[in-house]
Amino acid sequence: MKTQINQVTNSVIVTEGLAKSVLTSEGVLHILSSIDLIIKSGESIAIVGESGSGKSTLISLLAGLDKPSSGAIFLNGKSITMMDEDGRAALRNQLIGFVFQSFQLLPGLTALENVMLPLELRGDKTAKAAATALLHRVGLAQRLTHAPKQLSGGEQQRVALARAFVTRPAILFADEPTGNLDSKTGANIIELLFELNQENRTTLILVTHDHALAARCHRTIRLEAGCLV
Amino acid sequence: MSRFNLALRLLWRDSRSGELTLLILALLIAVSSSTAIALFSERLQSTMSQQAAELLGADLVITSPEFIAPAWLEQAQQLNLISAHTVEFHSVLIEHDELILASIKAISDTYPLRGVLKISEGDAGVESIVHQGPEPGTAWLDRRLLSVLKLKLGDTLAVGEKPLLVTKIITYEPDKKGDFFSFSPRVMMNNLDLLATGILQPGSQVHYYFQFIGAAQAIVEYKNWLKPQLNPSQRVMDSRENRPELSSALNRAERYLGLSSILVILIAGVAIAMATTRYTERHFDATALLRCLGLKQQEILWLYSSQFVVLGLVASAVGSALGYCAQVGLFYILRELLPQSIAPASIGSLFFGFIIGMVVLLGFALPPLLRLKQVSALRVLRRELEPRQPAVWLVYGLATSLISLIIYKYTHDLKMTVSVLGVGIISLIVLGLLIMGLLKLIQKRLDGMSLLWRLGLQGLLRNNRASISQILAFSITLVAMLLSFNVRNDIIDDWQQQLPKDAPNHFALNIFPNQVQDFKEDFKQQHILGSEFYPVVRGRLTAINQIAVQKRVSKDSQGDNAIHRDLSLTWTESLPNENKLQAGEWWVRLQPGLVSVEQKLAESLGIKLGDSLAFTVGSQQFNARVASIRSLRWDTMKPNFYMVFSPGTLDAYPSTFITSFYLAESQKELLNALVKKYPSTTILEVDLILQQFKTLLTQLTQAINFLLYFALMAGFIVLMAAVYVTLDQRIVEGALMRTMGANRRLLRAAQLIEFSVLGLLSGVLAVLMSELILFALYSQVLHISYHPSFYLWLLVPLFNAILISLVGCWGVRQVLNKPPLLILRGL
Ligand SMILES: Nc1ncnc2c1ncn2[C@@H]1O[C@H](COP(=O)(O)OP(=O)(O)OP(=O)(O)O)[C@@H](O)[C@H]1O
Ligand SMILES: [Mg+2]
Repeated sequence: MKTQINQVTNSVIVTEGLAKSVLTSEGVLHILSSIDLIIKSGESIAIVGESGSGKSTLISLLAGLDKPSSGAIFLNGKSITMMDEDGRAALRNQLIGFVFQSFQLLPGLTALENVMLPLELRGDKTAKAAATALLHRVGLAQRLTHAPKQLSGGEQQRVALARAFVTRPAILFADEPTGNLDSKTGANIIELLFELNQENRTTLILVTHDHALAARCHRTIRLEAGCLV
Repeated sequence: MSRFNLALRLLWRDSRSGELTLLILALLIAVSSSTAIALFSERLQSTMSQQAAELLGADLVITSPEFIAPAWLEQAQQLNLISAHTVEFHSVLIEHDELILASIKAISDTYPLRGVLKISEGDAGVESIVHQGPEPGTAWLDRRLLSVLKLKLGDTLAVGEKPLLVTKIITYEPDKKGDFFSFSPRVMMNNLDLLATGILQPGSQVHYYFQFIGAAQAIVEYKNWLKPQLNPSQRVMDSRENRPELSSALNRAERYLGLSSILVILIAGVAIAMATTRYTERHFDATALLRCLGLKQQEILWLYSSQFVVLGLVASAVGSALGYCAQVGLFYILRELLPQSIAPASIGSLFFGFIIGMVVLLGFALPPLLRLKQVSALRVLRRELEPRQPAVWLVYGLATSLISLIIYKYTHDLKMTVSVLGVGIISLIVLGLLIMGLLKLIQKRLDGMSLLWRLGLQGLLRNNRASISQILAFSITLVAMLLSFNVRNDIIDDWQQQLPKDAPNHFALNIFPNQVQDFKEDFKQQHILGSEFYPVVRGRLTAINQIAVQKRVSKDSQGDNAIHRDLSLTWTESLPNENKLQAGEWWVRLQPGLVSVEQKLAESLGIKLGDSLAFTVGSQQFNARVASIRSLRWDTMKPNFYMVFSPGTLDAYPSTFITSFYLAESQKELLNALVKKYPSTTILEVDLILQQFKTLLTQLTQAINFLLYFALMAGFIVLMAAVYVTLDQRIVEGALMRTMGANRRLLRAAQLIEFSVLGLLSGVLAVLMSELILFALYSQVLHISYHPSFYLWLLVPLFNAILISLVGCWGVRQVLNKPPLLILRGL
């Protein structure tokens, strides 16, 4: 019992008996079942598995984007299963960064504004300086005022990286961050991702189909039909 | 056929899923409002011409100072028209040493052609209805004449040299002409006795009225045949054109309703265009797939347009039914102003709205829909491939030509269509640019604002075109509502304010000179506040500097109205109180033969100082020289005159007196005593007339507002359509924001800002515009004083902002409720 509490306090993410099922027209569909995970601070984890195995569902639960059907999730020792949607939103803003397969930049905002947004949501007054610095870091110093439409896919993903790291999140979730990019550009993005990860000592949780990429992480978790193997 | 089934199935799916709800609603509004207006105006038109025919006594009337050419009557006979004629003139009657100027009307046997006569056979007799005038040798008299000339039924009355047996009292004739003040008492006789009176000498002032009824087509044909042959002193009046006062107000309201319904159509059209745009965009993927599966461009177009045609047919049919009900409502609102029985509607009008529906759908939905034809099959692989936007000329060209057609249908006047369209387009462009400028301004300021405000305002700026259309739609609708609200209130207020509390509310006409003293004493005894007593001689202006007046006026001008009827001529020693001398001098000594003319009439007829004016009274003529021009206020409720003569000028003619006086509510019973004591005097209760005027105005504006509610609904449909056009994008953005930790409060506040700024902007614009228009209207046209209504300046934008926020936030509620997980699923 004591060790478990210890583990809980030392770990960034802990799940206990996590399960997700949805009601469909053909009956109950079990997407995830009895997932027990302990992820320590600074770890990098790759989640792999076939398409439809529940990877995206898992990280959406870990990030508090959705509620589990049963089980508990602790982020930094706090149970998020008890929180309401706005509470989890606040927690996301404090703890979590995201990188998506399809970049997901807000089309109405410039590159700089997109990166500033999470800081501004916190009420951070130094948003502009921090965002500018990070865009310099990802090599987009010349593109600050460009709209997403004016940027290439690789550039958009770099903006998304800057946006993910600008809040210095404790945990970064990346769902197939290179899925929409060619292999060379993808490799560049991955380099950048790991560099930023090391600089910030972020816990990284990465969904990928790429074994080479998975090998660069400390640990690999394999999902098969919603179960850990 | 299987293709058509596919189309029907797709349509069914889309309408079930709510894809088409807004489109259908917009279409319903457009169709029901135009059906209602088409039915309303058609039924009003035919009701009015029925009534006008009765007021004219016929379908068509020729007025002429002499008997018309026999060929004209033959032509009428050939066209199967039935004719009657009356001869009217003034004559002084003398019996028992009493003398009075009467208005004689000699009628032919077929009179009256339309309407009925009402008579009474005893003193307190009941009215009865007859369809023929007096027999030869007899006369029917106004009750007033009996008391003045001390006659009773069965006595004889000499008209000129012909003695006539007085058999009946006439109480009503359908074609009675003239205004309130022209009631010379009536003598009606048969025109077979006319020659024997010896009154009709060459040069005497006589009016012949030749009346005709018949088939509408024949009437039109006859009128066209007649028109080129008329001489300047002859006129032809048609029950379709020459309408009484009330119907001209209704007519104007009808036209205004027609124009407002164009507003509704336009706004609904914008909503349709927006809804179709969203529909189109949501069908890009499906279309790309269909193209991939081998459908040709033409087939794609057919697939979608056949869906829209089916949709249009169903929605238009339902809309027509709704419009029919709405029209019944309109007539209900106006029930007090209209005759009991309303003419039925024709099938054509019922179909008008239906056709409008199909045409509007085509005009506004086709351009966005055409984009689907261009969707490339390649989109299946590369989603970012979007078909070209429809050509600008197509979008605006189609809409503009459509709207101009509809305007033409309501105005039947090319010039007016062009000017309404021109003014409309120019103001739309100016307003559009103004709003664009405002949005640009907001964009510039955006940098310095807090996150919340930036998010909110960005919602407004995101879809510039949609925001402009929304603001336009709301401001124009609001302007129309504000105008109709303000104008009615201000006209009524203005009247009430200008009239002092004890302004006269009764007129007494036809007071005989020997009664004036008694009248004054009665007023004093009963503490009745009266104005001056003015002598009145009824006469007509015939020539200015020896040139017949008919040649000097343009049709329907003030002058035209003044020369076709008898005027009240008066004389005074000093300038009447409410009058102001504008040119010339007032007479100081006894100086007969001078006249002072009212300014507006002088302008309209081109009368200048020193001109010589010729008048006829009865059959006599006299001249007067213009000594001064006066301006005066007509709305003082005191006797006012176009022509004031110097004392002595009119001494040769029989005169009566006129005055006005004030009776408080508590003094009303004194009226009965007065009427009993002076039976020959006519007393007009002005407050009744005022009350009628108020009812008229109120009901007309109610009718107009009734239609503006349609416009308001259409405005909200535009709002919803604009919201839905961007809804998908909003949901993604909202989810993304929440992924990054934005809470719902922030998002809701941003939405609130977006919509209230939208409402505020359109409200402020509407207030600005309506005040500008009101100012111009009041100072240039209505001549009433303009007061800015500050409370509206505050209330309208505020209320508008609240309303639009409510509707808008409700429209985008999904943005807050969809879980952010969505964004990971990649949509
Ligand atoms: N709301 C839902 N309703 C029904 N089924 C769902 C729902 N959410 C997820 N699923 C199903 O759960 C399974 C797992 O989905 P998930 O997106 O997590 O897979 P994944 O491992 O991310 O796949 P991929 O590698 O293709 O992204 C899928 O079969 C999916 O269809
Ligand atoms: Mg996935």
